[in-house]
Amino acid sequence: MVMKKLLHNPLSMIGLLLLLGFILVAIFAPWIAPTQDAYANDPYRVPRFGWGTTPEPPSPQHPMGLTQGKYDIFYGIVWGTRTAFQVGLIVTGLSCFIGVVIGSTSAYVGGKFDEVVMRFVDVFMSFPFLIAAIVITAILGRGLDKVIIALVIFRWTGYARLIRGNVLQVKQDEYIMAARAGGVSHPKILMRHILPNTIFPVLIQASMNMGSIVVTASTLSFLGLGAPEGHADWGQMISFARNWVLGTPDNSLAYWYTVVWPGLAIVLFVLSWNLIGDAFRDIMDPRIQG
Amino acid sequence: MITYIARRLLFLPIVLIGVTLLVFVAMSFLSPYQLVSAYIKSPEELKNQSLDDLVRKYGLDQPVHVRYVSWVKNLLKGDLGYSVSANMSVTEAVAKRFPATIELALFAIIPVVLGGIWLGTISAKHYNRPLDHVTRTFAIIGWSLPDFVFGLILLMIFYGVLGWFPPGRLSMWADTVVLTGDFVRYTGLNTVDSLLNGRPDIFWDSVRHLIAPVITLSYLWWAYLLRITRSSMLEVMNKDYVRTARAKGLTEKVVVNRHVRRNAMIPVATVSGSMVLGLLGGVVIVETVFDYKGIGLLTATGAQQLDYTLILGTTLFYGMLLVLINLVVDVLYAVIDPRVRLE
Repeated sequence: MVMKKLLHNPLSMIGLLLLLGFILVAIFAPWIAPTQDAYANDPYRVPRFGWGTTPEPPSPQHPMGLTQGKYDIFYGIVWGTRTAFQVGLIVTGLSCFIGVVIGSTSAYVGGKFDEVVMRFVDVFMSFPFLIAAIVITAILGRGLDKVIIALVIFRWTGYARLIRGNVLQVKQDEYIMAARAGGVSHPKILMRHILPNTIFPVLIQASMNMGSIVVTASTLSFLGLGAPEGHADWGQMISFARNWVLGTPDNSLAYWYTVVWPGLAIVLFVLSWNLIGDAFRDIMDPRIQG
Repeated sequence: MITYIARRLLFLPIVLIGVTLLVFVAMSFLSPYQLVSAYIKSPEELKNQSLDDLVRKYGLDQPVHVRYVSWVKNLLKGDLGYSVSANMSVTEAVAKRFPATIELALFAIIPVVLGGIWLGTISAKHYNRPLDHVTRTFAIIGWSLPDFVFGLILLMIFYGVLGWFPPGRLSMWADTVVLTGDFVRYTGLNTVDSLLNGRPDIFWDSVRHLIAPVITLSYLWWAYLLRITRSSMLEVMNKDYVRTARAKGLTEKVVVNRHVRRNAMIPVATVSGSMVLGLLGGVVIVETVFDYKGIGLLTATGAQQLDYTLILGTTLFYGMLLVLINLVVDVLYAVIDPRVRLE
């Protein structure tokens, strides 16, 4: 039913097609942008073509040009798609898992325990997400793995709060009472009876957050806290572009390709998730349909 | 109302303790040697003493609770340590950069709140008509355009090509004037100070430098506030009391402005808290892109150079700022929705 509505809405249809495109690029990256033999042990390293820093415009060999440091933009974007999916899926998966475990346990146990856990969540949520991520990444040391840890630390709380509310609602339902009266153990009630009835909105929320997580991760890369130089990563390619946005004295748009291609990749990726998420929200919440 | 504010104020110390604990936990990941700079007051102290001496002097080899108490004591004295990357004490650096960020934030927040609510109202009134689709598309694109990409594109077009909005805070000539003795710094906000000093040319120059960062900082929140206002207006429009108001024969304008919008503002007030959080985070990126010397750029350079003292100091500062802003938001919330006060 949901799928049918998604397919009927032109905006979410565009979103699905874009996402499908990105998935295909990620899967077929080795065929779309083959790795050169010299880089075979680490395909995520963007190949460099020449010495010096000045970017070079698109040419038949390098369809999107070379960015600062002569890194191939096309290769970086294709393999960067994989990086984006990795970061998005790992962060969403881990934080969703932690949030669901802590949130549902907290709601199910209730009482003082619940109170303490929720105040803890409040403290985490009262911090600007980006600044918190910057602090954690800087303290752990730079790197994509550190970025992932930082994002998970400050992302699980949203899911915990969401599932807690849902569990609190379901907890008092008759079938739960019945299960309890029937002598079913607490972990089993939680796993078999409560979670299947409460987890769906959390999963939707998680899929809607994919876009913003990838944006935050590339923001950290943009600030120089993410992947090491040369790793295929959209945020880093945009940070390269920073030094070249002003062009040359006689052509101020001379280096347009350094910012436009990676920028377009991020925007389209996030747009695809947001279009789907937007349609999802309207389908789930008929009050604001339109 | 007064009791409500008083009750909120009572919570303040608890939240502040929470913020300091969070920063302290983050600090505990660092070794005592890395932490020394968070305690010393100036690089002079390094001259005659070894790091081990300093570690002992500031009690960094002591158990956790002792360290926490002595650290908080330092904080209460306004002492946040010495920043290597800024080459001055953290308190000094923050105080120096703060007015710039305030100026940026003020110019961003006020138009966002007024404009976002206005566009949201229009969008809801024209529900499912072309105008609604236009604002909606604008909102979705706004959501999907990361601010650092948007900022760079603005910089490329409006500085690189057109030369209208340069980066930085002031042009070189204006900066020279501001730094000389005749120019009195009343507030630290360039726009206000230049008017008070009777220098419209400097006022115009600072506005020119503000436009692009302000747009970059706020376009996303225009989109956000627009969407929230729209959906909450649509929800209220179906309520019985709105139908009653219409049935009474009130004009559409009175119904929308007096009956619908007032009630639709409640969810808007709820999200304004998260909007402030987002704006504070956004400041880091926007100031980096436009080389605008405020707290955000301070944090970003501190993070790039792994200047822990500076990062932790500014984080603490953000935390305190947030606590205060949240207090204001809560009070506003109670003004809009009287039910909150009675809870």
